[in-house]
Amino acid sequence: MKHDVEFTNAGMAQWELPNAPMAMPKQMLERPQRRFISSLRLFFQTAFSRS
Amino acid sequence: MAKAETPSALLARIAAVGGSGALAAGAVFLFIHYSAPDGHDVLDFARMLLVALSTFWIGWGASTAVLGLFAATPHRPWTDEMAPARGRTAILIPIYNEDPAPVFSRVAAMNASLVKLGLADRFDFAVLSDTTAMDVAAEEVVWFQRLLEATQGQGRMFYRRREANIGKKAGNIEDFVRRSGSAYDYAIILDADSLLEGSTMAEMVNRMEADPELGLLQTVPKIIGAQSLFGRVIQFCANYYGPTYSSGLALLQGREGPFWGHNAIVRMNAFAASCGLPVLSGKPPHGGHILSHDYVEAALLARNGWKVRLDPDLGGSYEEGPENLVEFAKRDRRWCQGNLQHRRLLMAPGFHMWNRFVFLQGIMSYLGSPLWLMFLIFSMLDASILTQPSYISMRLLPASVLAGWALLGGTFVLLTLPKFLIVLRGALTGENRRYGGTFKVIASVLAEIALSSLVAPVMLAIQTRSVFQVLFGLDGGWPATRRSESRVRLGQAWVATSWLVVAGSIGLVIVLALAPASLAWALPVAGPMILAPLVIAGSSRSNVSSDLFVTEQERSPSPAIRERQWILSSWMGESAKASLHMPAIPAGRTAQA
Repeated sequence: MKHDVEFTNAGMAQWELPNAPMAMPKQMLERPQRRFISSLRLFFQTAFSRS
Repeated sequence: MAKAETPSALLARIAAVGGSGALAAGAVFLFIHYSAPDGHDVLDFARMLLVALSTFWIGWGASTAVLGLFAATPHRPWTDEMAPARGRTAILIPIYNEDPAPVFSRVAAMNASLVKLGLADRFDFAVLSDTTAMDVAAEEVVWFQRLLEATQGQGRMFYRRREANIGKKAGNIEDFVRRSGSAYDYAIILDADSLLEGSTMAEMVNRMEADPELGLLQTVPKIIGAQSLFGRVIQFCANYYGPTYSSGLALLQGREGPFWGHNAIVRMNAFAASCGLPVLSGKPPHGGHILSHDYVEAALLARNGWKVRLDPDLGGSYEEGPENLVEFAKRDRRWCQGNLQHRRLLMAPGFHMWNRFVFLQGIMSYLGSPLWLMFLIFSMLDASILTQPSYISMRLLPASVLAGWALLGGTFVLLTLPKFLIVLRGALTGENRRYGGTFKVIASVLAEIALSSLVAPVMLAIQTRSVFQVLFGLDGGWPATRRSESRVRLGQAWVATSWLVVAGSIGLVIVLALAPASLAWALPVAGPMILAPLVIAGSSRSNVSSDLFVTEQERSPSPAIRERQWILSSWMGESAKASLHMPAIPAGRTAQA
């Protein structure tokens, strides 16, 4: 892995974590149907509470 | 990207599932014979099912130990730790309202161990604070400054505190990966009470570099530093029985191994690409943030084709354990909620079958308690209905009496035989010398079984309550661990367990009223529940001078443990002399989330 990160050594910056972001995408753990049902339930709950 | 499991793991799984299934079938056979004389009713069928389920899971534990005893554990030769690792490693220490001096002294000891090996420049330390108590946060700042002064660790020791601990520990690690992940090839994830030898950390990195498919490597941490009777019994079990169970587990799990949340190394890009945990739909305890994140992260890595491995041969990995039953139960409540939440993930897309089975195993480890309690209640009910009111009575037919005793004896053997086999192997190999010799080991094992017999009914009741709390939607939250407080006074124990005393007493009265002949069978369960405050207070007393429950690290502490003890005592001595003043947290050092 190439390291193009500067590790600061001076002053208060020494406490900071290295600024070297890495993406961490959210994984899918629930089947889409469940999400669909949850959304549907939420829709009807919202509609019901408004009425 | 799914890879086939190794033949040895497949064989081990077939043996363990087959063995446990056969034991469950045997238990059902015995139960049918035992319950035959008065004919089979609905209660008997329910009990038969409970016997089958419970025996299967007890058999599973025994099978794991037997596999660990007799199967050849893969002992990988240690690589030369001085070989320069190419990768850069971050050592992550997530903390949450912990006492900072003990935590930072461990960091100093691990750093010293790496410095001695000349490897410190390949490892950075990041203390990731989720502390919410402002006084503790202020102390963290002071003690981190002390750590930097002691180690000259500027530039490779970092500290940051999040004001909002979103996602709890998993969120804390994720925050680090998102902010700094690209700077590192590997991350060694620790707990606040973790301690690793420098040589172990170097070996972990070397093993990751040797196997590019390896996404996560889990060590088997040994418990150290226990002072109380309860803590030392747990410590003895983890040190003496633990390696055998871990070897069996490693064989069973193969390349779909476990992650226990700490004392493990992850490949940063694999972890980042695979382990971003979503928030589950719904509210806690069923939904929300995933509480027992480690099992899920291991399953996600396996889902993405990464190898997750448990290496029991890696020594030099330590942690501390709960010192009393109250702290143990508090942690257990969190694990219960986390494991039961995994039912939402049993059918998650793409998981390997084995990982689903591991989730089920985790769920059953908690459902087992209400199942046992149901079995006991059904048995009492059955005994109260019988014209010959007895649970196992000599008035029944000889064959059924024999079957009843065989069932009871078989369960006891399943629970204790692996322990005595470990003692036997220890005597033959000389391993017992590290624990004070075979006689002391036998005495320790017998005393441990006696204490476990007192604690088991208490935990059965506590776990049953936890399961019902979770099922009824009560969120247990994330209470901070009090690692330094061991002693529980009788009054405190009474406050924590008075409900148990009441429940045990009511149970005993009901048995006396409905099935007095079953009293002898109810007492071993109800008795410890009624005595719970005494058991808890008594077992929390100091036990350091006892000759029993001796462990290798108590007799001869490893270099990192000795170093850490020296650092902590010198720090505490200095701080006592200087009457350390804790300043307020300077602006800019906190709230970096």
